[in-house]
Amino acid sequence: MKKKSMSETFRRLTESRIFLPILALLIILLFDAIFIPEFFKIQVRGGDLYGRVIDIMRNASTVMVLAIGMTLVIATGGIDLSVGAVMAIASSVAAIMMNPTIIGVELPPNLLAFINDPNFTYSPLWEVILVTLAVSIVCGLWNGLLVAYMDIQAMVATLILMIAGRGIAQLITNGVRIQIFYEPYSFIGQGWILLPFSLYIVAILFLITWLITRKTAIGMFIESVGINPKASHYSGIKEKRIKLLAYTFCGFCAGLAGLIASSNIKTSDAFNIGKTIELDAILAVVIGGTSMSGGRFSLPASLIGALVIQAITTTMYALGVPAFALQAIKGLVVVFVILLYSEPVRVLLNKVTSEKGRPL
Amino acid sequence: MNMNKEDLLVEMKGISKSFPGVQALENVDFDLRTGEVHALLGGNGAGKSTLIKVLTGVLKPDKGKIFLYGEEVTIRSPQHAQELGISTVYQEINLCPNLSVAENILIGREPMKRGVIDWKAMNAQADEILRRVLGMDIDVTRLLGSYSVAIQQMVAIARALEIESAKVLILDEPTSSLTANETQQLFSVMRKLRSEGVGIIFITHFIDQVYEISDRITVIRNGKLISCDQTASLPKMELIVKMIGRSINELDDMENIKRKMADNISETSVLEAENLGKYEWIQPMDLDVRNGEVLGLAGLVGSGRTETALLLFGIDDPDSGTLKIDGKNVRKFSPTNSIHLGVALSPEDRKDAGIVDDLTVRENIILALQSGQGLLKYINVQQQKKIADEFIRLLDITTPSVDQPVKNLSGGNQQKVILARWLAIHPKVLILDEPTRGIDVGTKAEIQKLVLSLAEEGKAVIFISSELEEVMRCSHRVVVLSDREKVGEFSGDTEEHVLIEKMAGSVT
Amino acid sequence: MSNRIKSFINKNRQYIPLSATALLAVVAYTAGAILYPGMRNPQVFLNIFRNNSYLLISAVGMTLVVLTGGIDLSVSGVIALTTVATAALLRGGMNPWLVILLMLLMGVALGATMGVFIVYLKAQPWIATLAGMWFARGMCFFISDDAIAIKNRLFDIISRVRILIPGVTELSAARGSSIPYISIPVVVSFLVYFAGIFVSRYTRFGRTIYAIGGNEGRNEQSALLMGLPVNRTKLLVYTINGFCSALAGIFYSIFVTSGHGLYADGLEMDVIASVVIGGTMLTGGSGSVIGALFGIFINGLTQTLIQFNGSLSSWWTKIVIGLLTLLFIGVQSLVARGKSWRARVEMMGEEEAKHYRRKRWLTRAGVVAGVVILSLSAIFLPKLTNQEGFGQVTQSSRCVLQAYRREKVDEYVADGAIIVYERNGGSSCIDEIYAIYPDGLIIGDNGNEIVEKQVTVAEVDLLMAGIVDYGWFTDELYDTWHIPCGQCYGYYLTVVKDGHEKTVKGVDGGTDAPVLFWQSLSLVKAIVPQFDTSG
Repeated sequence: MKKKSMSETFRRLTESRIFLPILALLIILLFDAIFIPEFFKIQVRGGDLYGRVIDIMRNASTVMVLAIGMTLVIATGGIDLSVGAVMAIASSVAAIMMNPTIIGVELPPNLLAFINDPNFTYSPLWEVILVTLAVSIVCGLWNGLLVAYMDIQAMVATLILMIAGRGIAQLITNGVRIQIFYEPYSFIGQGWILLPFSLYIVAILFLITWLITRKTAIGMFIESVGINPKASHYSGIKEKRIKLLAYTFCGFCAGLAGLIASSNIKTSDAFNIGKTIELDAILAVVIGGTSMSGGRFSLPASLIGALVIQAITTTMYALGVPAFALQAIKGLVVVFVILLYSEPVRVLLNKVTSEKGRPL
Repeated sequence: MNMNKEDLLVEMKGISKSFPGVQALENVDFDLRTGEVHALLGGNGAGKSTLIKVLTGVLKPDKGKIFLYGEEVTIRSPQHAQELGISTVYQEINLCPNLSVAENILIGREPMKRGVIDWKAMNAQADEILRRVLGMDIDVTRLLGSYSVAIQQMVAIARALEIESAKVLILDEPTSSLTANETQQLFSVMRKLRSEGVGIIFITHFIDQVYEISDRITVIRNGKLISCDQTASLPKMELIVKMIGRSINELDDMENIKRKMADNISETSVLEAENLGKYEWIQPMDLDVRNGEVLGLAGLVGSGRTETALLLFGIDDPDSGTLKIDGKNVRKFSPTNSIHLGVALSPEDRKDAGIVDDLTVRENIILALQSGQGLLKYINVQQQKKIADEFIRLLDITTPSVDQPVKNLSGGNQQKVILARWLAIHPKVLILDEPTRGIDVGTKAEIQKLVLSLAEEGKAVIFISSELEEVMRCSHRVVVLSDREKVGEFSGDTEEHVLIEKMAGSVT
Repeated sequence: MSNRIKSFINKNRQYIPLSATALLAVVAYTAGAILYPGMRNPQVFLNIFRNNSYLLISAVGMTLVVLTGGIDLSVSGVIALTTVATAALLRGGMNPWLVILLMLLMGVALGATMGVFIVYLKAQPWIATLAGMWFARGMCFFISDDAIAIKNRLFDIISRVRILIPGVTELSAARGSSIPYISIPVVVSFLVYFAGIFVSRYTRFGRTIYAIGGNEGRNEQSALLMGLPVNRTKLLVYTINGFCSALAGIFYSIFVTSGHGLYADGLEMDVIASVVIGGTMLTGGSGSVIGALFGIFINGLTQTLIQFNGSLSSWWTKIVIGLLTLLFIGVQSLVARGKSWRARVEMMGEEEAKHYRRKRWLTRAGVVAGVVILSLSAIFLPKLTNQEGFGQVTQSSRCVLQAYRREKVDEYVADGAIIVYERNGGSSCIDEIYAIYPDGLIIGDNGNEIVEKQVTVAEVDLLMAGIVDYGWFTDELYDTWHIPCGQCYGYYLTVVKDGHEKTVKGVDGGTDAPVLFWQSLSLVKAIVPQFDTSG
C-alpha cells in the first residue's frame, strides 16, 4: 500500500533527530532567497569560489570544529565550558612559537630584521601546529581527569579552566597581542583552494571523527555511557576512559579552532579570542538535537546547528541589521530553541505526530 | 478486635492496575483500621509498591474504589494524599539533609517574632515535638544529614504526624538501614502511635519484625491478593509458603530434564569462591559451581543474594577471601575482567543496570560482546543484525525490528534482550539475578526452560529468584542465604519446607 | 578537650570552607603588609571595598541563586545594559532618581522573565540566563554604539563623596597620616550584604531557598513534598538577582562614569568564582551569603597584591582566582563525598576509623597547603629573592624605549604647558613629545625637528574638559606598563590643572590599561600636529 509506506517514511523522517535543524536551515535559506537579492550568487575569482553562502560556511568553521568536539562531550552526559579559553591558549602558543621575541628569546641580529617579514617564522609551521595541538590536548586531558576520575561535575570542572585559561594564555604572551606576519600560517583561516581552506579542515575533522565514532565501538560506547553509565559499567565498558577520551578530543578541537581563529585575525588576542564561543558551540549541539543529558548524538546535525547559527548571523548582516542587534537576536533564538525543545512542547508535538506510542 | 466499620481508616476494594505487558495489580482488596500496624508483604515486583502508589496518589487505578473514613475518595496527587492525612516515610528520606533537624520539622511553619524567624522558639518547639510524639531527645540544631538514617527517619515521622496531622502512616522498608537497637526504638514509637489511633502500613521483608510489631499481615504475590490474616493466627512457615508460592504449572517435565543432566555435571568447579566476603555486603562464604550445573541461590529479600552475585561478577573488590575461575585466582575485580574470564551477570534491576534504553535491540545485545573485544574491533551493523537475529530467534524475542529502541519493548522482552547480551559472549558462568521478575507467566516459563538448557550445553549457571519454587525447579543444588550469611547448601531434590526453614532464619 | 573540639567542628561542619577562606584572606593580607610597605596604609584595605562594591552587590544576589542549585549567567549583560541605559537617560535630561528607579524596575523585569522560563518552562538555568545575557547586551547596542559619558551631579556626588569612619578618623589624624575613607557605594553594598544575610537566615523565603538546593537535586523533590512554595521561591530568587544586577550596574556606571555595551565583560565569572570561594557550593543548599563578602575580598586582594608586586602582570589575577576556585570546588566535592563516607566510618571499628580519618585530613590539608603555598610563592617569591619573577622579560636586542623625559616635561610645565604628551617606541624607534599651552599653542619635538601648531583657546579648553571628565584626576586612571611588542608604543601623558599635576603611562597592546586612558589619548592625538617623518 503505497500510501501507508509514504506516511511511514514521512513519520520516520520527521522523527529523526536531524529533521528539525535541517528544517530550520532550509527556512532561513528560503527566507534569504526571497528577501535578499543575489544571496545565492556564487562568483568565481582567480579560480576560487566566493559568495554569501560560502561566507556562511567559512565563518561557521570555528564553531563547527568546536561543535564536533562538544558533541562527544555532551553525549557522555557532560559539558565543556573551557573551549574558548583553550582557543586562546592555543593561539598564544602558536604566536609565541612564530615570534618569541616577546618572551625575550634573543634572535641573532641577522634574523631580527625579519621579524615583520611575512616569510619569517622562528619555528617551522609543522612544529607550531604540532605543539599547539599537543598543548590543547593536555588541556582536554586536564578537564577529563577532573570530570571522569575526580568525579567533579562537568560544568564546575571545566569552569576552572575557563577562568584560569585566559590568564594562562595572557601569561604566555606577556599580555601582548602578538601580531602574526607569517603568511603560510594565515592560510589556515584565510586561504582558499576553490573553497575556503578552513572548510577542508572541518571536512577532514568531521570525516575522521565520523570514522572513529561509527567505524569503531567508540561512538556506541559514548552513547551508552551517556544514556546509562551504570548499565554500561556492568557491561564491561570502561566509562571513565570513554569520558576522558571525549574531553581530550574536545580539547584537541578547541586547539584546532584556536589556530583557525587566530590565523583569521592574524593576531593572538588572549583577551578576546573565543570569548563566549563555547556558548555558540553548545547551542549548535543543542539545535542539532543531541540531548543535554547525554546519549544519542549526531555529528552532521551539530554541524547543521552551527550553520543555522551562522546563517542567522549572515542573514542579519545582509539585511543591514547592525552588529549589535545580532546578540539580541541570538538571545531570542535561544529562547525559541528552549521553547521548542522544552518538555511541555515536546509532549504536545509527540501527541500530534505519532500514533499512540504503544510498547510491543 | 471487632470488625467495626467505624474503625476502618482506609478501605481499598478491587484495585486493578496494568502497565503495557504486565498486570501489576489484579482485583486487590486492602484495608487499614485505626490503631493498627498492618504489615504488607510480597517480593519485589509482586505489586505492593504499586498498591502503595495508588494509595498515595502517585498512580491512578484502572479499576476499584478507595474509601477514607468510610467515604469514597479519588486521590489526585501526592499532595492531595497528604492533605487527606496519608503520609509516607520512604526508605529514601524525603527531607533536606542540609538543614537542621528543627528546620526539617517546622519548615514552612516556622514560629515568627515580629516578622522574623524566631530560631530560639523554633528549636524549642521542635525539641518539644520530638519528645512528645516520639519520646526522642536529640540536639535539634544539628544538621539532619549529620545524623544516622534511623534518626532521620524518626524526624520524618515526627514531621508527618505533627505537621501533616497524618492519620495513616505508611512506612516503606523503614528498618533496612537500622541497627537492632534503632529498630527497637522505632517499634516503641510505632506502638505509641498505634495506641493513639494512628493506622500504620508497615512494608518490610523482615519476617521476624513482622511478627514482633504487626497486628495483621497481608501478602501480595504476582499482583494478586494472597491472604490477609491476623498475625497471631498465622504461623511463620505458612506465611513464607504464601509469600514464595506454590507453583501453578505444568513444568514437571523440567524435573526429568534436570535428572538426566545430573549425570553430565562435571567434577571440577569452574567458579570457586573461598571465604569470599565484603563488609556490609555478605559475610565470608564458600561457593562453587560446576560446568553443566545450575546452582540456585535462595533467600528472602535482603538476605544478600544480589550482593553475592555482584561480588562473584567482580563489580567491587571483596574485603576477604579469594575467587577462582577455572582454577586461576582472580586478581583484578572489574566487569571488564570478568567478561574476559567468561563470567556474565544479568543484574537484578534491569531498568537501572541492565538495559540502555535509547540504544537499539541489536546494540544492547552485542554490548558486552563489543566491550570484550575492545574499542577498535567494531562489530559492524550487518554483523550486529545477524547476531541479534540469531538471539531473537533463539529466545523468541518479540520486536518489530532489531533497530527498535529497547525502551519500547515489554519487560519480558527486555529481560530476554539482556539475557541475549550475556549469551552472546559465550560465558562459562552465567549469573542470573531475578531474571523472571516483573514478567508475564508465559515468558517466565520460557526463561526457566532456558536456564536448564544452558546448563545442558555445559555452562555453569547461578540462578537467583525470590520465588522458591522456581529455584527448586531449575537448580541442581541450592545455597540458602539468610541475613547476608550462607546458612545451608542442599541438593535440588530437597523438600521445600527444609529450605524454607533455613530461609526464615530462627527456628519457630 | 579534644572531644569538645571535635563536637564543635561537627556542629559547624558547614562553615569549614568559609573559615578556610577567611583564614586565607587574613594570611594573605598579612603577608602582603609585611612585604609591601605601601599596603600598610589602611586606605588600601578600604579601597578593596571601594573598588568592588558593585561586585559585592552582585555576589549577594548570585549566592541566593546558587543556593537554590541554579545559576545566573546574565548578570554582566544586565549590568552593561544598566550602564548604557542610565547614561542615555541621563543624557536625555531625566531626573537621576527616576533613572535609578527605572533601572531597578528593568532589572526586576528581566530577572522575572528569566525566572519564568526556568520555573514554568523547565528550561535549564544556564541556558535561559545565557539567552538573557545575549539579549541584554544586544539591547545595549540598540541604545548606543559608543560609550556614553555620564555627566550628572547626583552621580558625581555619589562617586566623590568620602565617608569617614568614626574612630579611625581620629586615630589617623592623631598620627598625622591621611584620613582613610570609604564611599557611598560601599555603604550601599554593605546594606545589601546585611539584607541578604538577614533574608537568608531569618525569613521563610530564605530558608526555602536552602531547602530547594543541594542533595543533587533531590532536595527540590523533598521540598515540594513538604509543601514548600518551590516555584514561587525560585522565581523570586531570579527576580531578586535581576534587581541586584541592576543595582550593581548603577554603581558600575558611577565607577566608570559612562555606559557602554562592552563593559563588565566576563564579570559573571568573577562573581561566580567569588561565590564559590566564599564557600557556597555550586550544587546548592550549602553555603551562606556571609561568604560572598570574603570571596569578593579575596578577589580584590589578589588584584591588589599583584599590583603592588609590580613585576607580575595583571592577568595572574585570573590564574590565581582560577586556582583558588579549583581548590574550593575540590574541597567542596571532598566534603560532599565525605557524607556517605562518614556513615561507613561510623560502622567501622574504632581503630580503623581513626586511621582512615587521620589519612583523610592529612590529604586534604596537604592539598590545601600545596595550592596555597604555590599561589603565594608565585606572587611573593620574586620580591623576596630580588629576582625577576616569572612573567618578566629581559631587555634585549630590540628598540629599547627611551626613558620618560622627565626633565623636558618639567621644563614645559614650568613654561606654562597644561598638557604634555610623549610617545616613544614603535618599529621606527621614535620619541616624540608634545606640549600644549592654554593659549592654543602646540609644540612638538621628536629629537630631529620641531613643529608648531596654533589652535583656538576653546579647543584647548574642550580638550582639557574632556580629559578631566574621563576622571583623569581620580583613582580610575592609573599607570600600567608592560614590555611592549615590536611595533608597540609607550605613552606618557601629563596633565596640569588647578595646581595639580598627574602623569599616567601606558603601553600599546596592554589589555589591562584603563579604557579611559586610551580615550584621553585619542583626544590628544586628534589635536596634535604630525611630523614629516613620523612612523
